[in-house]
Amino acid sequence: MTMLEINNLHVKLADEDREILKGLTLTVKPGEVHAIMGPNGSGKSTLSYVLSGREGYEVTEGSVTYKGQDLLALEPDQRAAAGIFLAFQYPIEIPGVATMQFLKVALNAQRKARGEKEMTAPEFMRHVKERAAKLNVSQEMLKRPVNVGFSGGEKKRAEILQMAVLEPSLCVLDETDSGLDIDALRVVAEGVNALRSPERSMVVITHYQRLLDYIVPDYVHVLSDGRIVKSGGKDLALELEEKGYAEYTGKAA
Amino acid sequence: MIVPRTAAEEALGLSLPHRRMEDWKWTDLRRMVQAPYVRMPVTAKQADVDRLVRSSPFAAVKAQRIVFVNGELDASRSSLASSPSQALAVADDDVLLQINRKLEARGATLRLEGNASLPVEIVHVVTDDVPRGVATHHRIEVADGASATLIETYVGEGDYLSSAVVEVALGEGARLDRIKAERESVRATHLAFVKVSLAKGAILRDFTLSSGAALNRQDGSYIFEGKRADARISGAYLLGGKQHADTKLVVDHTVPSCTSRELFKVAMDGQSRGIFQGKAIVRPGAQKTDGKQSSHALLLSEEAEFDAKPELEIYADDVVCGHGATSGDLNHDHLFYLRSRGIPEKEAKSLLIAAFVGEAFDGIEHEGVREALTAYAEGWLARR
Ligand SMILES: Nc1ncnc2c1ncn2[C@@H]1O[C@H](COP(=O)(O)OP(=O)(O)O)[C@@H](O)[C@H]1O
Ligand SMILES: [Mg+2]
Repeated sequence: MTMLEINNLHVKLADEDREILKGLTLTVKPGEVHAIMGPNGSGKSTLSYVLSGREGYEVTEGSVTYKGQDLLALEPDQRAAAGIFLAFQYPIEIPGVATMQFLKVALNAQRKARGEKEMTAPEFMRHVKERAAKLNVSQEMLKRPVNVGFSGGEKKRAEILQMAVLEPSLCVLDETDSGLDIDALRVVAEGVNALRSPERSMVVITHYQRLLDYIVPDYVHVLSDGRIVKSGGKDLALELEEKGYAEYTGKAA
Repeated sequence: MIVPRTAAEEALGLSLPHRRMEDWKWTDLRRMVQAPYVRMPVTAKQADVDRLVRSSPFAAVKAQRIVFVNGELDASRSSLASSPSQALAVADDDVLLQINRKLEARGATLRLEGNASLPVEIVHVVTDDVPRGVATHHRIEVADGASATLIETYVGEGDYLSSAVVEVALGEGARLDRIKAERESVRATHLAFVKVSLAKGAILRDFTLSSGAALNRQDGSYIFEGKRADARISGAYLLGGKQHADTKLVVDHTVPSCTSRELFKVAMDGQSRGIFQGKAIVRPGAQKTDGKQSSHALLLSEEAEFDAKPELEIYADDVVCGHGATSGDLNHDHLFYLRSRGIPEKEAKSLLIAAFVGEAFDGIEHEGVREALTAYAEGWLARR
């Protein structure tokens, strides 16, 4: 079965007439890693938000099918329980909610929604600790409120930790590389690579080719002005690095 | 102009304040208190009393207890001896004190010494019976250098007016953690007055939960009488339906080098009304005063309404004082983030509301009490 099938997707802002995605088509099969590259403002984050169900966007045409079901009919939490995970470009700070508590509530809510048994406290502790260690996320960070006071790099690592803890089927990573130095980038990329499996697919959104040296994609797509204008193998990313996006935008990048 | 007295005023034998008076503009007591509440002894069923005592949010907290049933001391249920309190020392001009006196309040006098390991809980229970007025007043003294935790709990059923006055004096270097929980009947009116004085170097941690009564008005007066005293006064409202809660605090810096902090977190559902009036006075010569207050309201429905009136009266120049007030609904980005991780909407909202209100519990040192309040808030969220 196909993991994700986006067909002729048109999306506009809910309270404005501006169309952001203008007929986007993309198919992702299980185990595949797709990179989506494009200039700022081309609609990359919009795509990630539409997939995760954020309010403020309106689908005017087209469809999104996830594991055979109409994704757009699901609430954000239902999508998460069905296995969709978005690593945010700008992770959100939530004062007063401890990271550990948040992870536990989220994991058990998903398990409950899927009809699975909730994890006990010791099981959960072990589950998180193993994964946190690999991503250099300290116990102290886990006690802090979600993303509050985290540095840019810590926030990105925390996103990947959430992903590792929740074990989704479809990971959408929105500019997970932005704001990371090379060491942090390596840690994050290793975390992502460790999650690669034949059953899990990834959509890796990035502005720069750099991340793709570490997370090597099966396919690369160029998103420009709300449409995929070119698709290819991983070499396309190198080509973009060299020539920029000018060819696709009609402007100098 | 002579306004004829209402039935409630006739019964109490005094004039109730109304909205044309500055301090009462949001809480028009003359209009809002209608029934003729008078003092009326009733016989309580023991099973009702048991149930109500157990309904205290702090029932599971190990404590020494003093129990007042329908305004009278119930010695058989009390584990701590107290003497009856004397006539109020505070001046009579305040209407909340006048009401307390008209209803012939009884109460306890306590002198807390040393470092008490167990909290003292004064439980106030009102049983369902004819509409009536029930009043208590207590005098609490914390001796020089002593430290104590005092819990005041108000629970009840039926239609009544509860008048609660507490006078607290903190000695030099004394510390008091005071926790009040107003969980009166949904049909009750709760009118409270607390006056606290702090001697040199005294520390006060004061928390008030307002959550039960249909109408709650509480006035607090906190007076710094000795240098380097420190008071943190916090509160939480958890309101729904047509509940109305109005807190008016006056923090009076009469001497130099004292610190005061006020933090109120207000969660309001339904058509509830919340009001926070906080006033800080810095008297001439009270230099190096550090006083800040803030109130934050979370409006969970479009019909809920919150008003804040911060006031500063400063007569000294070398001071740091400030205030802030916010009100708004739940942050949509926060909500989306939680939901995007699989947390259903209702649960996500509850997490955010609990986190919001919980900030007001943070200053409470006694872990059992803090947990009891957290559990109470969770219960409130589950019921809403
Ligand atoms: N919620 C929003 N409100 C207003 N404009 C938006 C919103 N979301 C996206 N846009 C606009 O849509 C376009 C695409 O944005 P975005 O999806 O963030 O692009 P990218 O992630 O590729 O940089 C931009 O012009 C952006 O300003
Ligand atoms: Mg973006």
